[in-house]
Amino acid sequence: MFMSRSEYDRGINTYSPEGRLFQVEYAIEAIKLGSTAIGIQTKEGCVLAVEKRITSPLLEASSIEKIWKVDEHIGCAVSGLIADARTLVDKARVEALSHWFNYNERMSVESVAQAVSNLAIGYGTTLSRPFGVAMLFAGIDHRKPQLWHMDPSGTFIQFDAKAIGSGSEGAQQSLQEVYNKDLTMQEALKHATTILKQVMEEKINSVNIEIATVTPDRMYHLYTPAEVEEVLKTIT
Amino acid sequence: MGDFSPYDDNGGTVAAIAGQDYVLIACDSRLSTGSTILSRFTPKIYPLSKMTVFACSGFHADVLTLIKNLEVRMKLFIHEHGEEMSTKAVMALMLPTLYGRRFFPFYVRPIVAGLDRDGKGLVASYDPVGTPEFFDYVIQGSGENLVHPFLHNQIGAKRTLSDVPVQAPPGLTLDKAVKLLKDAFLAAAERDVYTGDTVTLVAMTAKGTETMEYQLRRD
Amino acid sequence: MNPFNYNGGVCVAMKGKNCVAIASDHRLGAGRLTVSTDFPKVFEMGPALFIGLPGLTTDSLTVVNKLKFRVNLYELRENRKIRPHTFKAMVESMLYERRFGPYYVASVIAGLDPETDEPFVTAMDVLGAGEVNEPFAVAGTAEESLLGLCEALWEPDLAPEDLFETLSQVILNAVDFDCLGGAGATIHVIEKDKVTTRTIKTRMD
Repeated sequence: MFMSRSEYDRGINTYSPEGRLFQVEYAIEAIKLGSTAIGIQTKEGCVLAVEKRITSPLLEASSIEKIWKVDEHIGCAVSGLIADARTLVDKARVEALSHWFNYNERMSVESVAQAVSNLAIGYGTTLSRPFGVAMLFAGIDHRKPQLWHMDPSGTFIQFDAKAIGSGSEGAQQSLQEVYNKDLTMQEALKHATTILKQVMEEKINSVNIEIATVTPDRMYHLYTPAEVEEVLKTIT
Repeated sequence: MGDFSPYDDNGGTVAAIAGQDYVLIACDSRLSTGSTILSRFTPKIYPLSKMTVFACSGFHADVLTLIKNLEVRMKLFIHEHGEEMSTKAVMALMLPTLYGRRFFPFYVRPIVAGLDRDGKGLVASYDPVGTPEFFDYVIQGSGENLVHPFLHNQIGAKRTLSDVPVQAPPGLTLDKAVKLLKDAFLAAAERDVYTGDTVTLVAMTAKGTETMEYQLRRD
Repeated sequence: MNPFNYNGGVCVAMKGKNCVAIASDHRLGAGRLTVSTDFPKVFEMGPALFIGLPGLTTDSLTVVNKLKFRVNLYELRENRKIRPHTFKAMVESMLYERRFGPYYVASVIAGLDPETDEPFVTAMDVLGAGEVNEPFAVAGTAEESLLGLCEALWEPDLAPEDLFETLSQVILNAVDFDCLGGAGATIHVIEKDKVTTRTIKTRMD
């Protein structure tokens, strides 16, 4: 009785007899339909690079946003349901500002991930379903540059380099091949865009990707199309 | 019951000096109400962490409540962020904590003193609603007016209201600072009836914390 | 407005070894307005006798004239110099005469006994209540600061020069924290057969 998946995949708070939460797993699957996002952490800072799917020539590309500033020292790249992502990024921003308000210091990247996770696992009580987004938090706190990944289950883990979204499997493999602890920011930028280029269906250009960096001197910085162009020149 | 007041002033003096590589904080141990001595040994210094201490005169029940709140925040911070709250963060936290009771304030005169991550001495003082002041030395409480000009004279620093903590000149060593605060409390106890019994001095350096105690007038 | 805080100003006196010193600031105000920065509040009552009268200036000037009158009369009648102890009693009784409409002045007296050269200092409130067994005496708008500084800086048997230095530090640092006092200070060091009067600079704000 009740052995088929369909018996258990409705209720978001109901475990299957094998101990699985199907809705959460489906949400994680949903991420794999999203556009690819890559994050790399180096000793000098962090790089975020994402693909934007321009589905129509009539679409205003700049209105698609997949990298957001959380605070001066933290950026966030997402893949999945962007509407959900906005809710979570808003939470991240509020928490980072609240920390600044209370302690007059920058919130650590890990603590931001923790705070967002607390919201993400709130489904079932205040939310009807798990959030359909994966997120990469890249930033610098008083420890060092760091990159954190969070999935729809609310699990958050630190990575040297991480890819999410439709091209994530291939991209993750490529990241593993090129990554080493002594990467410079220039190299990390180059690797991120090169790998993004490989996994993207469209031809890469300064309009259909977004790049952001977090470095000690410039903190969070979202690249302008002209700056993206410069980066792209180095990989062709 | 009709003339009940939710506040009392339990007297006492607290002081601190921020050195280049130390912080020294001092208090007397008398607790009084009007002309009655409630306790001869209730020091007003409370450790918050390895790096930070809190000292406070004013209404003792409010002091105790405030310190309890702070201790809870210190512990929660460790759980939430995986490390102790830095001295600067404690100093920042005092503002929302006190200002949160803007219209029924804690009747307290708090000092936060400690070391920053580089071992530099930091001192901040507050009014009951949280206005912060960062000076190289500070004295608050019932002996304040008596001793403040003396410390100013002896430390010789130019005190200007600043947004960031400052340190006393390098010439003021920890030993000199101990002698200075001891003298200051002897003077305060001589003339202020709410200050007396014992003076407790807590010296904090990167190497650790040392507590000293000396007798004051008991009348 | 409190008459003691209207014109502002401080006085302080201290015993040394075979000497005494008395000092006042120079500010004369009208509330928050500074009217003069050349207004010492210490007055000579004899070769080795001074009185400082911080408080409401109009009363200070009246009191000093009345005292001078009484001291002159005393010295003519008695044909000898007035002793600081006697002078203190005179000020005391004169102030207490105005028990129900007092002169708004505090008094600081410093002098050497004309016969024994014993140092003497005392301070009194508006009604003439004072204490004679203290090594220093303070009055005025920075009273608490002065008292704390005296308590911390004074030591027994100060020589005239050291007494001057100590008293200078006391008044200077006290008026630095008193917005109703300051604007310079005058210090008289009284020794046997000699009074040295010096002015020092303080903050002018």
